[in-house]
Amino acid sequence: MTCATHIEIKKVQALLNALQENDQTQAAMLLDELTQLRESELYQRLSSLTNNLHDTLDELVDNRLLLQTKHDLPDVTERLEYVLSSTDEACSKTLASTERAMDLSESIALLVQESFNEGSNKNRSEPLQKQLNELNTELTNILLAQSFQDLTGQVLNRVLLTVSALEQSLIQLISDSRHDYDAIPDKEEGDEQKQDEMKGIGPNVTQKSKQNSMDSQDAVDDLLGELGI
Amino acid sequence: MQMNRDMNILVVDDFSTMRRIVKNLLKELGFHKFDEADDGATAWPMVQTGKYDFIVSDWNMPDMTGLELLKHVRADANLQNTPFLLITAEAKRSQILEAAQAGVDGYIVKPFTAATLNAKIHKIFERVAERQNG
Repeated sequence: MTCATHIEIKKVQALLNALQENDQTQAAMLLDELTQLRESELYQRLSSLTNNLHDTLDELVDNRLLLQTKHDLPDVTERLEYVLSSTDEACSKTLASTERAMDLSESIALLVQESFNEGSNKNRSEPLQKQLNELNTELTNILLAQSFQDLTGQVLNRVLLTVSALEQSLIQLISDSRHDYDAIPDKEEGDEQKQDEMKGIGPNVTQKSKQNSMDSQDAVDDLLGELGI
Repeated sequence: MQMNRDMNILVVDDFSTMRRIVKNLLKELGFHKFDEADDGATAWPMVQTGKYDFIVSDWNMPDMTGLELLKHVRADANLQNTPFLLITAEAKRSQILEAAQAGVDGYIVKPFTAATLNAKIHKIFERVAERQNG
């Protein structure tokens, strides 16, 4: 690092002289003077670097990034969490129904066995048993296909961690650039929102998007009823 | 009321899973003539052939939304009376009002049950019959 402070040769010479004359007090004093100069210079440079950094941050943290950090990232998190919980729920339902169907197929197999046990009917049970076996294979396939929930769940959890770490870093960046995170305004809703709605915005799964949305088919029916539909 | 189980139904949704679910539920209800389209834009030329007695559509699709498809149908003199059912995740009050204004006959919010679909279809065709008789 280059240093703009001029080190006076006089002072260095005086320091050398003091040392030669073994005047420790004088030497210490002169050395302090010299190092102090350098320290204050370092401090100034640090301070100017910090200011530069703040200016850069100010440019970086424009309004858009502030809004995205405060609104879009939590929105992403909420939506991913919805995906996690709804696929989990759907899987549980599928598994429960499949298990119930497997039980049913098992009791049907027993009934078939009992009903066709008598000698002359024996060959008639064979095609039934064969079809029941096929049914069981299909049910097992349905069961196994649900293992996607484990894999996609793991992937989503990792993505959620990354998004949350990114959000924390951005919040830090915002406060480092002396912006007040809490003072970032809410997203404006207007024509853009209306346009989005007409295009379709998908399910309202976040707290915010649930505003002004119908939470059940009954609520929709009531509204349509008022309109005569 | 007797519903015509032989009517031609067009199922429009960009998710094939959803089309399969809707088709299977309609089959359970006794219908058997279906065609599928994966977007409003692919559905519209099919609808224009005049083949369909009933359209079941999603709202949010990439090229042409179900709402736009509905508006197209209602604006066409030959097709404007075709019963139109929206099955959609869109559930904002403003959206339902918009669909009603555009002339939707039924509105089902996803996720839905077989019973809801059954009830709405019955209601739609009861009203169609009333319109024809009255």
